Amino acid sequence: MMKKFNSSLIFFIAMFFSISSYADIEFENFRIILAPAVAKSTAAYGVIKNIGVEAETLIDIRSDAAMVMLHKTEIDSGMAQMIHMPNIVIEAGSELVLEPMSFHLMLSGLSAELFKQGQYISIIFEFEKAGEIKVEIPVQAPWD
Amino acid sequence: MLKKILELLFIIMIFNVNAAMVKAAALPILSGVGGEFTAVDSNGNTIEFNSYAGNVVVLAFGYTSCADICPFTLGYLKQLYNKLSSEEQQKVRILFVTVDPEYDTPEHLKAFLGHFNEDFIGISGSKEQTDYIVSLYQAEYNQLSAIGIPTQNIRRVQPKLFEDETEAENDTATLFSHSVSIYLVDKDGFTRSVEYTGTPKDEFSEKIKQLINE
Repeated sequence: MMKKFNSSLIFFIAMFFSISSYADIEFENFRIILAPAVAKSTAAYGVIKNIGVEAETLIDIRSDAAMVMLHKTEIDSGMAQMIHMPNIVIEAGSELVLEPMSFHLMLSGLSAELFKQGQYISIIFEFEKAGEIKVEIPVQAPWD
Repeated sequence: MLKKILELLFIIMIFNVNAAMVKAAALPILSGVGGEFTAVDSNGNTIEFNSYAGNVVVLAFGYTSCADICPFTLGYLKQLYNKLSSEEQQKVRILFVTVDPEYDTPEHLKAFLGHFNEDFIGISGSKEQTDYIVSLYQAEYNQLSAIGIPTQNIRRVQPKLFEDETEAENDTATLFSHSVSIYLVDKDGFTRSVEYTGTPKDEFSEKIKQLINE
């Protein structure tokens, strides 16, 4: 009985970290890339879904562990540049996909002791209608 | 029925011819891309590009304050490098040329690149040397912020993370736009192919092996 309870608890905790939902906003598969220890910045990727019937605006992103901004890498004629994307609107029933060489969270001013493999970083996303949503995002090394 | 069989045979024949052509595709010398330069490697040694002669070189541009594309490119190169045998790896040099040599010192580059693979070589130098290498490869870079953003200003929102105010005062994070191409250079220093992170790693590693075996 206890074993079954523990398994269920682990399952629900895992679900909480992989899919965070608040009102009409869902976060899926968010992860922070494990950066070299000497790095000042890194990126986070994942999907923000607006499952509601109204458009939502992401008005702020913040964390105690780093400065966070939504950026987009744009490649034009073989040149990559990063563009700050404040107040992005996610239309009703659509999603914002953050992935390499596209939209991403840029985390700068990192504190190396916080950003280690397997640790979780709290990031607060503030939406115009849904308000503040805190998401615990794991640090992962995807290249290994 | 016979017509359909003949059509099928024809399609198979065309497909096989194309496959054979792809397999045997030569990698022509891309004239005007690349060449001899002097710079500083991540051990702090002054190097001439021809000191890598006899090895196949994979060269990319970037900088360490880049959060998205540069780590992604280095992760790609790490996985690409891991597709080679240890014998093949000894005949390949992976060069990461910084476009921000002011911040990316040889020591810093060595520590940064070591996260991906200890074999990767950082290339820095003076701004003039960087500009020359960039021009050789017909690449580009631009500083996005005219003045470096002091990271102390970024950290000011989290004062508890300050450990060394003196270091922070001189610390700046500058953003650049830059070329994303990955250059494949043969053992004689000739550029033979220009790839990017969208190139399937198996396809890229086959090209590297082809140049190793020339």
